[in-house]
Amino acid sequence: MNPAVHLDGITKRFPGVVANDDVDLAVERGSVHALLGENGAGKTTLMNVLYGLYRPTEGQVVIDGEPRSFNSPRDAIDAGVGMIHQHFMLVEPMRIWENVVLGNEPTEWYGLRVDEEAAREAVRDLSARYGFDVDPDDRVEDVSVGVQQRVEILKALYRGADILILDEPTAVLTPQEVEDLYDVFEELTDQGKTIIFISHKLSEATHAADEITVLRNGKNVGTVATDDVTSEELAEMMVGREVLMERSGATEPPGDVVLDVEGLVAEDDRGVEAVSGVSAQIREGEVFGIAGVDGNGQSQLIESITGLRTPTAGSVSFHGEPLDDVSRRERIDRGMAYIPEDRQARGLVMEYDLTQNAVLGSQHDSAFTDGPRLDWDRAASHAESVIEQYDVRPPDRDATAESFSGGNQQKFIVGREFERDPDLVVATHPTRGVDIGSTEFIHDRLTELRSEGKAVLLVSSKLDEVQALSDRLAVMHDGEFTGVVDPTTVTEEQLGLLMAGETPDDDTVDYVDDIESGDDSKPTESAGEEVSA
Amino acid sequence: MSRSRPGAIRSRVTSLLRRFAEISGVDRVLIALAALGLSVLVGFFIVLGSGRVAECSTAAWTMPITGMGFCYDPFEVFFVLFNGALGGPFYVWEPAIFNPEWLPITLPWLGFMPGWSPFNNAFALTMSETTLLVFTGLSVAVAFRAGLFNIGTQGQLVVGALLTALVVVALAPLFPANRVGGVILIAIGILAGAVGGGVWGAIPGALKAYADANEVITTIMLNFIAANVAYVLVLEVFRAEGSSVVATADVPEYAQIGPWLFPPTGDFAEAALLIGFVSLVALYLFLEHTSLGYDLRVSGIQPLAAEYSGVNAKLTTVRAMTLSGALGGIGGSIWVLMSEGRWVESIPDLGFDGITVSILAGNNPLGVLPAAALFGVLKGGALQVGFQTDVPPELVGVLRGLIILFVAMPEFFRLIGKRLVPDESEVEPSSGDGNDGDGVGGTAAVDDGGEASA
Repeated sequence: MNPAVHLDGITKRFPGVVANDDVDLAVERGSVHALLGENGAGKTTLMNVLYGLYRPTEGQVVIDGEPRSFNSPRDAIDAGVGMIHQHFMLVEPMRIWENVVLGNEPTEWYGLRVDEEAAREAVRDLSARYGFDVDPDDRVEDVSVGVQQRVEILKALYRGADILILDEPTAVLTPQEVEDLYDVFEELTDQGKTIIFISHKLSEATHAADEITVLRNGKNVGTVATDDVTSEELAEMMVGREVLMERSGATEPPGDVVLDVEGLVAEDDRGVEAVSGVSAQIREGEVFGIAGVDGNGQSQLIESITGLRTPTAGSVSFHGEPLDDVSRRERIDRGMAYIPEDRQARGLVMEYDLTQNAVLGSQHDSAFTDGPRLDWDRAASHAESVIEQYDVRPPDRDATAESFSGGNQQKFIVGREFERDPDLVVATHPTRGVDIGSTEFIHDRLTELRSEGKAVLLVSSKLDEVQALSDRLAVMHDGEFTGVVDPTTVTEEQLGLLMAGETPDDDTVDYVDDIESGDDSKPTESAGEEVSA
Repeated sequence: MSRSRPGAIRSRVTSLLRRFAEISGVDRVLIALAALGLSVLVGFFIVLGSGRVAECSTAAWTMPITGMGFCYDPFEVFFVLFNGALGGPFYVWEPAIFNPEWLPITLPWLGFMPGWSPFNNAFALTMSETTLLVFTGLSVAVAFRAGLFNIGTQGQLVVGALLTALVVVALAPLFPANRVGGVILIAIGILAGAVGGGVWGAIPGALKAYADANEVITTIMLNFIAANVAYVLVLEVFRAEGSSVVATADVPEYAQIGPWLFPPTGDFAEAALLIGFVSLVALYLFLEHTSLGYDLRVSGIQPLAAEYSGVNAKLTTVRAMTLSGALGGIGGSIWVLMSEGRWVESIPDLGFDGITVSILAGNNPLGVLPAAALFGVLKGGALQVGFQTDVPPELVGVLRGLIILFVAMPEFFRLIGKRLVPDESEVEPSSGDGNDGDGVGGTAAVDDGGEASA
């Protein structure tokens, strides 16, 4: 029997990027298939190809043994493929049944009127058949996110989908809702539907899927049956190899305090408090890491330090001087390098070539100026040296930033910032989207900077990265540090608990921050305040 | 499935806009030329159509073969439009020998008009319009490059012009009435215009920076304020005695920018064009080769990156608007010192035409000169069409508008394309960025329509 879905040698290229490279994928009917990979591995792109949003550069989509060429999602829907996006596409003030039938309404009076009763009935039937607990007359805005997700699934089923693609379905759900979703999966597959879901979480894949395909850098690393594989093996497939990073501890004790953050409170763009009283001291020759799930206030904390955001309370001092009224430019001039989280919005001017990007942040620096004039020759040679040292490919300083792949854009930013000769490096996700070789190089340079006596503030969502590089590791949750620990002794479980905002209930955790080191009293909810100098 | 698919249409539109956004420099020039040709072709048929509808005793042009008569000759209209703008360097003649009888139409030949000199009044008008539009075009362009839409160049020009006239008239007695005194007065006058326009531009700049007031709205409002306040001031306070219109006293002859080669009746001075050219080159160097220019450009193109690189966004906004206003104000100075010799209530819409000039130039200072020249030619030529043919001025206006519309549209789409269509590579998740949900942005953008149609 033919597999429900067969992707045959799919390659999808974007300008400067190969998102999918000759990917094969076969999914059996009635099974749950997990597409696993790190951010940027090409999972969503692959599914967008299957759903007709992108046309593959090469390769073929085969549904039920029949080769298909989708020009739009409409074609995919006609072929029985439905996709539930991570961000739902529902009309919130409308009722559930209206959302489900929207665009395909049953009509009466020769198409002049929507047959509400028939529509309601159809939605009720579908809901009952798959055991969804959904009332068609509820308004979407009134129901929980989990129910909204089911409405999306109903929408796809109503349009006759046999194959359901779910993009990171658990990202928005509470743990209980995740369990319910797994039940829904079971119900759907029992009735012959095929499910493909995208995830970057190992546990989800092993828990819910029959088979798992791991994507890495746009390539299919392998498809395995869930029963035949261990989490460790999967992790290795995702990351590419055993990531046992060599820890190179600081050779010399840290020196003077470079950055002193005191009781910092900051709001996010919506005016909601995102950082609630964080204190930390970062010294010369030390890497201070911040771990935590994205969105727990790391961004706002970093922006407050680098001068992109005005904190609502607390203070930041640099070399002992408060930075309250110090502009972003002045902070750069005083020796603060910053690898921003969003490299394409902040770190690079996408339409400019690398020469012009090489002076971003130093456009008033005497290194590149004669009076008011910007010396493009010096900028060009600087760009060239960054390109060469940091292995930016292709090595073309006249190419626009947008024409480079994400990894190479990142390498260029990292190079530019490191070459500033800073006293403090603030690095947020410095290796995100960067290949293994370059990652190692960036790690080496970070370590080098430390041994040169620079202070490094490292934020990364990669646990292994922060753990291997940091001398002290703070864990952030809900705007506060739940603990500052010794990365050499802390276990993954302890980190996991801290990241979830809980306190490991044993005293094996080495809290290293000045105050807590001698004091094993559990960091309470106000841990942020305690973790101070 | 015969229903229309918004998703498909939308992606078509998106990809079309994207293609416009990616056009190269050479292509843009070629497209502009092609658009010019196309607009002439369309205009040709509009002239024909109007000529058929209009009533006249004798046909200006008879269509070969059919013998249909038309009141306006489209060939003549376009010939006069472009030829007239230069003061008629060519004339049309129809040689008998080279016109075999089997040809249905007589082939016109262009001859060079003996005794034609470029320094004629018609060409002077063309050049004068070009010169003034260089300033207003630069004014709009510099704001545009900083991401600001300055509709207020007109008001800045009005204020600059008034200040120039008042300052020069007031200071004239202090300087010797000779060439030297004239040059000093002109310099002071231009400075006054720059200050006046600059202040008038700084107001919306500051409102934008510190009160978050949209500059499009404030500049439009300030246009009205400028025009009416200036009118009342001149009417009540500065009106020249015995003047039949609302105007200031005349700037003394020696303090006006006079022509070197062109006839004095032409209201055009080469020196003014030179000042325009110098401003243009200076602005180009400022934008491309100075730190402040870099700040300004990055602010316009990617405000978040500008903030990251330490650019003070508020200050840059005020600076850009001040510079923009100053250029508009200098345009006003030139208008007073070169064209009118005084401030008069009937100020032409140079500021508004400057917006089109800037768009036509792709907001690049170097492109402003050819764009302004096109406007100048159309202005000078239109006048000649009115003199030399029976075509009504409204129809000439239509032809002008048509040409501008055609030439500006590709640039306009390019601007829209750049602003509205996200770059595919930026949206694309696998460039390795992406937060939790890689590529959701792109998905949502394209998918919406597709789903709705399903």
